[in-house]
Formats: sequence, structure tokens, C-alpha cells
Amino acid sequence: MGKKRRGPTLDELMARPWCYYCERDFDDLKILISHQKAKHFKCERCGRRLNTAGGLSVHMSQVHKEQLSAVDNALPNRSSLDVEIFGMEGVPEDIIQAHHQRVVTQFQQAEAERQAVTGNPPPGTGVGGQPAKKPKLESVSDLKKRLAEHKAKKAESRTGGSSGEATPVGAGQMAGQMPVIPVGGQTPNVGGFTANYPQPYGTASPYPQTASPVYPTFSPGQQPFPPSAQFPPAGYSPQPFPTGTPQTYSATPSAFQVPPGQSNTPPQTTGTFPPRSGSLPTPPNLPQRPAVAAPPVNAYQMQQMHMGHAAALNGDKPHAEPTLSTSVDELINGTAKQADAAAAATATAAAEKKTEEKPKKDKSKARLVYSDNEISPEEKMARLARYAYVPEDTDVVAVEEVPASTVVGTNRMDSLGDPADA
Amino acid sequence: MASNQFSVASPPTDAISALKFSPDADSTRIVVSSWDKNVYLYDLRDENGAVGEGKLLQKFEHRAPVLDVCFGATEDEIYTAGLDWDVKKIDVASSTQTVLSSHEAGVRSVVFSKEHNLVISASWDSTLHVHQTNDPATAPAVIPLPSKPFSMSLTATKLVVAMASRALHIYDLKALAMLTAQSEGTGPNKIEIEPWQRRESSLKFMTRSVACMPDDAGYASSSIEGRVAVEWFDPSAESQARKYAFKCHRQTADDVDVVYPVNALAFHPVHGTFASGGGDGVVALWDGIAKRRIRQYQKYPSSVAAVDFSGNGKYLAIAISPGFEDGNDDVVEGTVKIFVRELGETEAKGKGAK
Repeated sequence: MGKKRRGPTLDELMARPWCYYCERDFDDLKILISHQKAKHFKCERCGRRLNTAGGLSVHMSQVHKEQLSAVDNALPNRSSLDVEIFGMEGVPEDIIQAHHQRVVTQFQQAEAERQAVTGNPPPGTGVGGQPAKKPKLESVSDLKKRLAEHKAKKAESRTGGSSGEATPVGAGQMAGQMPVIPVGGQTPNVGGFTANYPQPYGTASPYPQTASPVYPTFSPGQQPFPPSAQFPPAGYSPQPFPTGTPQTYSATPSAFQVPPGQSNTPPQTTGTFPPRSGSLPTPPNLPQRPAVAAPPVNAYQMQQMHMGHAAALNGDKPHAEPTLSTSVDELINGTAKQADAAAAATATAAAEKKTEEKPKKDKSKARLVYSDNEISPEEKMARLARYAYVPEDTDVVAVEEVPASTVVGTNRMDSLGDPADA
Repeated sequence: MASNQFSVASPPTDAISALKFSPDADSTRIVVSSWDKNVYLYDLRDENGAVGEGKLLQKFEHRAPVLDVCFGATEDEIYTAGLDWDVKKIDVASSTQTVLSSHEAGVRSVVFSKEHNLVISASWDSTLHVHQTNDPATAPAVIPLPSKPFSMSLTATKLVVAMASRALHIYDLKALAMLTAQSEGTGPNKIEIEPWQRRESSLKFMTRSVACMPDDAGYASSSIEGRVAVEWFDPSAESQARKYAFKCHRQTADDVDVVYPVNALAFHPVHGTFASGGGDGVVALWDGIAKRRIRQYQKYPSSVAAVDFSGNGKYLAIAISPGFEDGNDDVVEGTVKIFVRELGETEAKGKGAK
């Protein structure tokens, strides 16, 4: 029996072009480009569609004498004119990473939901949760190192007084939406981390990842942590968990009881997620999962998450981002990243190829319908034989006599190559 | 075609060179000059006074194709300029033609200034002839031009002459009138008069048409390269900084931008907006102050040769004929037409700056 097609694969989803400004994704690059021209690069004054934000800016200043300050219809943190975007070109690497992570998360979420509904085992999962164990293979020293690094970074940002930047809550776009803040604020870091972190797992089995980014996202308000802290004993040998980690666990719940306004705490929590998340998906926990992961997720919340995420990335760029990415880079499994990068590279290369053809079109040549810059159309017409004037002294007396030969002869000869007239 | 547009009955049989509405506010008379050597006088009103496709009142045959035509002091007075080198006055009531003067080449355009009672003609012999209508006995003043004139337009006080080599002269009509009045006797009466302003066209290509604003503030000019420039008379730096040009009458076909000449320009007498007619058969209305296009009409089957607004601004007449630029010399029957659009109250009104 043939295998049933269950919608697009992760790779297909990852390859879809998407819009930097509003995070919509499209079937192909052409549609993306026309979307950008229509939604983001369209002049509100005259409706002209430009190719880039820079082009629109120049158009606005030259044609309407106005200054373009932000890209229309963009997510709040993506409306900057500094980034030159055309289709998929020019999107900053970190944003691409974040987007991919989001796609992965969404994909896995959908997968998890489906599994919850159908009761099917996750693809590639054998008996006894063998593949799920794989993630644990991370060595103790690696874990320690990562934790230490993360702590150091946090400490650094805190002492530097710039915690606001590292902490997405500080990216105040969500101000006024208090309930959302913990969610939106927190996810950025989860995303930022998981963007690189869980990918190694992905190769083994997409499933473990499924719940992990989602889980923390929607649980902060309640008390999901104690149970989750019990996961490791349930499914795993305690070995991968360094002595240090349990301490962090115990610390986190308390941190969470602090009012959400405290922006420093969420990062701490998220720092401890990765080890835990690895343990989450073990088969014994399977029945519980839907209750946690599936119900709260809807498109709007996802959107909120991503907006918050993007805000964090954008805001961080000058300071925190480099540290974050470098430390993360060291941690992640090289192969997965390479594969990912390769995919991204081919995607952008393809995009480039397509977009290269476009500008050529725009530089089309102009053809003048009437190109004689010296002799007017009327003069040319006057030289046609049928319009030639032959004075014949009729009723009207001309003041001066007209030598007909010069009018007709010379004029007709020099510029008219039409034999029909001769 | 839209219901508010009708085509005028019995159009000329060959390409149209010029079309003018009577300047009288409530008149619906149109005079048209054609390459078929005739000048046509139409009235859009029928016997009952209803404005419709109108009727041909009279036809005046000339010895050669007529290149330009204009109304004089009254609707019964028409001046024509033609390839027979003559500038003529036609008295409609008696159907008589009088030669005012003869140039040494075809006469491209003729204008009448009712403020100064002057008929000014421009010929390819690179001269202007200035005739005084209230004193027909005096010989016209001959003003040499640096290049061949292509188009002429006037306001109450100024005369704008657009010439080859992108030259453009602006004359003060008062000075012209005085100089012409001073000249005595018969025979060619050459006067050297310095134009009030000498300008170079803002457009890189040959000037096709020029039209003055009804408020005497400036003028618009168009070129063979699908472009229109709007400029102001006032020589001060601020006014000159306001001048601009824009592209129009173009079509993109197979990656090639096909650029049509802008054959005709006409200002709306009330709103001060203007219409442009191009070789692409398109007529567009523009707000020269707000720098916006007000509207563009559906493409006509052939090149737009001339456009003009009626004296009260309620009608827009559009003359189409296959242009020479199309490369087809032969005029096919039925391609020469005169359309008249009845304009809505605000149809030609500028939207105002946003």
C-alpha cells in the first residue's frame, strides 16, 4: 500500500520564500516579489510600485518631496529602511535562522497535533523510545560548558545594564498587552536558542523537538516545571544531567513566581530549557503531551511569539547578538547547521538567479516613435508630393510670387526615401 | 464609447493640423484646419440648441494644406496659416478670404491676441509676422527668429514661440504692438526686437507644442520624446525652481519603452489644468500645480493631433488622425475624427494638493 502523503515536508516548508517585512510565506519567489511591491514598496501617493524600500525612499523624496520613514505594512520591528530587501535577498542571516526555526517549530507542532489526534507514533520512533534517547548523548562537559556560557552571558548583560536588550520583554512593542508579555517576551530567547540548538536532534527524530519550544512558551504562568523536572528520572539515566542542572531547576520555578514584569528572569529559565526539553518527548509522556502543547497554540499566538522574537533579534543586533550567536555556534552540532546553511545557500542562490533577470527588464530601451530631432512631422508631411503646393494664381493674389520648383523639388528629394512619393 | 462623448459629423478627409474652440464662453463653434486643404467650421449645437454631434457650417478651401487656424475678434473672423505661405483672414459671413501677408515658406502657426488686436503668424522661414487687425493697411512687422518655429501660444500679455534647436522666445505683446504700430509705409517692415525672455527648452528633444496658462503665469511645452515641461514666466529664482517636467504618453512593449510625441496641449480656461494629446492616441488631463494626473481617457484609434477646451470649459474637443510618425502616409478613410467630450462639473478640476 502506498504511503499517504501528509502535506508538505519540512524541507519543502523551509524552502518556501517568505517576506522579511511581514513573515508571510509564498509559493514562489515571483509572488513574493509582487507581494513586496504591492504591500511594502508601493508609493501611497501615486501608487507606483518600486522594487526596494530604498527605491521607494528615493521616489518619495524626488517625486513627492517627502521622506519615507518606515516600510508600510511591516511588522513593527521590521519596518526599518536600513535593510535592503528584494525578494529573499538581503535578509539578515539571524532573521533567516529565526524564521527557519519558526518553520520547524510550527511544523513539529502540527505534527504533534496530528499524532495526538491520530494516535500514530512519531515517524521513525521504534519501540522503547530508542531514537528519542539520542539527544541525551550530549556529554556532560558540553552541557556544563553551555550552561556556564549562558550564565556568563546573562551576568554580563545584567551587569552591563543592558539586560533590557537581551531580554525581549524590553522590546516594548507589546506594551499594553500585559498578558502577552511573558509569552512573547520569553519565546524570543527560546527561539534564539533553539534556533541552533535542537537541530541536531532533528536529524535523529523530529519528534523530540516538537514539544520543546512550544512547551515553555505556554506554560510559564502555571507550574509545569516540577513535573518536567521529574522527566529525566522517568525516561533517562541521570547521567547526562550535571550536578549543576538540578539546581537551576529548583531556581526556576521560584523565578517564575516573580511577577512577569521582571524582565531578567525569563532568560534564566530558558537557559535551562534545552536539557529538559530533550527529556520531554520520551514515549511514557506521550499521552500527557497534547494537553500541554496542542490546545493553546493558535495562529494569533504564534504570530505574537514571532513578533516578539523578531523584536528581540532586531534590538539585540548591535550588542547581544554577536555573543549569542557565537556561543551558540560553538555548541551546535556542526552537521546540522551545515546542512541548514547549505539549504539556505541554495535557496538564496536560486533566488538570486531569478532576481538577476528582473533588473535587466527594467532597463529596457526606449524607442522614439518620432525620432527626428531637427525636422518636425509637419515639415516632413509638407514634403510629401500630395501636399506639395503649386501656386497657380487663382482667386487670391499672393504678395510675392512663389517659385514652385524650389518648394517641391528640393524638399521632396532630400528626406523622403519613399518611392511611392517620387 | 462613453455616452458623454460624441464624434463630430463630416470630419475632414485628411489629417487634421489644428482644432480650436471659439473663445466665446457659450459658443460651441469649432474650427478645424486640415491637410486636405480645407478649413472646417462646425457648430456642436443643432437647430434646437442641443449639443450633439453638431453640423458642418462651412468649409473654406485653400490652395494648400492648412497648418493652423484660429478665431479672431468675433466668431465670424478666422485666421489661417498654410503651406501656401500665406496668412489669411476668412470672413465667415461673406465667405471671403483675404491674404494678410505671405511668408517665404510654409506658415506653421497663427494666433490672435484680442487684447492687442494682433494676428501673429510663425513660418518655417524663421520669421514672425505681426499684423494689426484694426489697421489692415499697414504692412506687417517681420521679426526674425533664430530657428524654425514649431508652436506658438499667447496669454493676455505674452507670446511664447517654441522653435527648433530647443530655442524658446517669450515676447511682450505690448512691446510688439507698439513696434508694429510705429512702422509706417508699405513693403516688408523688418524690426529687430529683443524678446522679453530667451529660454532654452527644459526638454531635451524637439518641442512639439506649447500652451500658455490662462492665468498668465506660465506655460507648458511638450516634446517628441513623450515629455511635458511646466514653467513659469516669472524670472525670479523661486518661480524658476518650480519648473518641472514629466514623462507621459509612453507604452512598454516587449521590454521596449515606446515613446510617443506629445502633439497637443491645451489649458482649461477655468480650472487652469491642462490636457495633453499624444501620438499614442491617449488624452490625459493634468493638474500642473499639484503635479498630478487627473485622468486619462481611453485610447483613441489613432494619434491625437489637437485638443482644445471650449470657452466655458465644458467641452473638450479631440482631433485624431493618423500621424506622420506612424510611418503610414496614406490616410485611411474614417481614421480622421473629431471627438467632443462633455466634461463633468469637476472632471477637469484639480484635486488640490494632498
